[in-house]
Amino acid sequence: MSKFYDVVIAGGGVIGASCAYQLSKRKDLKVALIDFKRPGNATRASAGGLWAIGESVGLGCGVIFFRMMSANRKREAHGSAVVVDSSTPHILPQSFFDFALQSNAMYPALHKELQDNHGMDFKFEKTGLKFVIYDDEDRLYAEHIVACIPHLADQVRWLDQAALREAEPAVSHEARGALEFLCDHQVSPFRLADAYTEGARQNGVDMYFNTNVTGVLHHGSRVTGVQTAEAGVFHCNTLINAAGAWAADLSEQATGIRIPVSPVKGQILLTERMPKILRGCLTTSDCYVAQKDNGEILIGSTTEDKGFDVTTTYPEIAGLVQGAVRCIPELADVNLKRTWAGLRPGSPDELPILGPMKGVQGYLNACGHFRTGILTSAITGVLLDKLVNDEPLPLDITPFLADRFEVKAAVEVKALELA
Amino acid sequence: MSLHPVIVGGGPAGMAAAIELARHGVRSILLEEASRLGGVVYRGPLRDGVQLDYLGPRYSEILSRLHGEFEEQSGLIDVRLNHRVVGAEGTRALVVLDADEHLHEIAYPQLLLAAGCHERSVPFPGWTLPGVILLGGLQLQIKSGVVKPQGPVVITGTGPLLPLVACQLHASGVTVAGVYEACAFGKIARESLALLNKPQLFLDGLSMLAFMKMHGIPMHYGWGVVEAQGDGELQSVTVAPYSRTWVPDLSRAEQITAQTLAVGYGFIPRTQLSQQMGLNHGFSDDGYLRANANIWQQSNEPHVHLAGDMGGILGGEAAMLAGRIAALSMLLQRDVLDTELALVRRDRFLSKLKAIVRFRAAVDRYTGRGAGQTALPAADTVICRCEHATRADIDRALEQGVQDMASLKMRTRVSMGDCQGRMCVGYCSDRLREATGRQDVGWLRPRFPIDPIPFSAFHNAATEAASHE
Repeated sequence: MSKFYDVVIAGGGVIGASCAYQLSKRKDLKVALIDFKRPGNATRASAGGLWAIGESVGLGCGVIFFRMMSANRKREAHGSAVVVDSSTPHILPQSFFDFALQSNAMYPALHKELQDNHGMDFKFEKTGLKFVIYDDEDRLYAEHIVACIPHLADQVRWLDQAALREAEPAVSHEARGALEFLCDHQVSPFRLADAYTEGARQNGVDMYFNTNVTGVLHHGSRVTGVQTAEAGVFHCNTLINAAGAWAADLSEQATGIRIPVSPVKGQILLTERMPKILRGCLTTSDCYVAQKDNGEILIGSTTEDKGFDVTTTYPEIAGLVQGAVRCIPELADVNLKRTWAGLRPGSPDELPILGPMKGVQGYLNACGHFRTGILTSAITGVLLDKLVNDEPLPLDITPFLADRFEVKAAVEVKALELA
Repeated sequence: MSLHPVIVGGGPAGMAAAIELARHGVRSILLEEASRLGGVVYRGPLRDGVQLDYLGPRYSEILSRLHGEFEEQSGLIDVRLNHRVVGAEGTRALVVLDADEHLHEIAYPQLLLAAGCHERSVPFPGWTLPGVILLGGLQLQIKSGVVKPQGPVVITGTGPLLPLVACQLHASGVTVAGVYEACAFGKIARESLALLNKPQLFLDGLSMLAFMKMHGIPMHYGWGVVEAQGDGELQSVTVAPYSRTWVPDLSRAEQITAQTLAVGYGFIPRTQLSQQMGLNHGFSDDGYLRANANIWQQSNEPHVHLAGDMGGILGGEAAMLAGRIAALSMLLQRDVLDTELALVRRDRFLSKLKAIVRFRAAVDRYTGRGAGQTALPAADTVICRCEHATRADIDRALEQGVQDMASLKMRTRVSMGDCQGRMCVGYCSDRLREATGRQDVGWLRPRFPIDPIPFSAFHNAATEAASHE
């Protein structure tokens, strides 16, 4: 039952699907997408924020991550003079800004393309993202952010209390104002993944759902295919690792090296459908709040190191509820419809892990997207397509190569000889 | 051990378990979402003093015996009505919404889950019209003693509940225009011997049929629903003869005037809580998910027990027996009962339970649903009422290669509404199994909260102070 493909993509989340879609547009490559949905896959758990600046400066989904980090650092720094506190913004490097902003700019065209050519609407909405300021600490934090991104001055706007009330009447009157990122928008995350998937399928990509990759085939230092539990052997010229929070296992099988991708749990809340009460997405120092196209309000999210556990837990849910009600008081009378948890594919420096690895041929990473996989799926698909086809890249991939980490080759290249 | 056992569900299984525990001096906490105990089978009239003669003397007798025994033991049963269990914290505590809409955590050393079942919704053109109602829901109306459906009533579906409700409706003064049992008479007759495992029920069945004949209620075998019509509310129902696989012969279809159409194609266990707790489950021949229990009614977590219909549809009498067995297991776990005595008692309950299982298996064989059922909805028939997903939406997703429940949900939004798929899960599962040929196409993953809860419920959220004995 052997199959032959030019490219095999392992992982059908938003990243794998985007790669499949971009590769499928060439129509001259034989591509297979292999997927098995494990509990907690991040695409389906995501909020769908395209918060290019927000996430790059540690807001949105990142704000809670940053609070957790600063709490850890405070503990670690106990007794020393250096204390990192939450008034210091958590700004990602310039390479990530470029990556995120380039990806973000692709969505209007991508939305039209997938809708016109494939009948799939991923509900792209221009919303902006407002960082709601409650107190001096928040304001200081916002000022720091603006100071750090002078080159994006035209994409930020200050709202005083009156302007915020005008723009978002549902937001608590406790709020003193907001800092808005004008280019940060939203999509429906699972519709985006479905749109890429269906576009790819219509363009001829073979889909293997409910199929587990159980091993990787090698010839010398070249990856030559994968073994699956349900659909036999797939031979290929290139294997793309888009396995999300599970990417380390596949990289180990493929290269003998465990790339440092590990699950970072996030819990999310969803309300019942509401009339439109929010014009845009909001982030506070407690949570983010986004009203989706169908009226449901999504509130996220925690940042937890719990391995692959995807249970929802009462204290964390209660914490998000409090943060949301503080921001939008009328939520107190609204019903909580459901909660869930997802596993972000986290990397140590919060940057994705893309492209080839030293000493291995026929293998490309497309993983480690942490909390911005939805946002950066567009550019990731384009990058991987160009890497497969050996064409010039729209941006420098060096900061995202796996080789940036000091990798400890756990199971030396010995595994590679098991062809 | 200082905490009391907790029982979820005050139906026959939960009540019987609480009685058995109390008889051995063990106090329990019984959580019930409704304002009365008894579950949908034995809830009794909603108002005191209402006579339910039309439900038959045997029903009234079991009803009063169960409530009577419960009353005798009520000193040792902490009943909490209007309490909804909305989630589980692992397998040690429950999250409960009380009557004042406040959330509590309730920890337990032993748990009995007896959440019962809900009805299987079967979509066909017109099934969402006001006046079209599920058969169990209609029976619940007449059991309440306060509401009666508007006649004439047409009853369609399969199984012994059809003639039973027809008789009860007639006795309560409602006109029954006809009963349409989807399976052929020969199929039922073939099961006669197995049905004799419960001779009394078999006789009851025969006397119901005699009653219907005497009162001129037509009973049609091998006929089923095709469509419901009406402008804003039900006005008529189209029925037709069904083939062996339940494909309607439209050339012989008949249109009947009706104000109420009751549809009864069986039940689906309420596994939301057992799934959330991560317990082991399996699929029945009817395609529904059910929680697995061993001979002591224990789940794979031995301190978590299961009884009643959430482990497979067996009805009220079996639920009481299973509830008692679960109570024996809890008594053993608490060192209240010695093993030998527990075994003797369990085996007595078990032999009765086995007769019901054999009877029920025969019913399941003749009520096995035909493949033609999933073809009833038209392209624009709504399948998921919460999200307005139509049959065409599901067809398209299947054509696009969707193969499992979670992916179907993402692609079409079925089950993403307030009911979390209670209504559409049956149809979606049927279609996926049909399309893929696989028995396991997944099931909906229930999320906390199982029912919507107001954000304000989180205020003053408290962990229940351990109630000590």
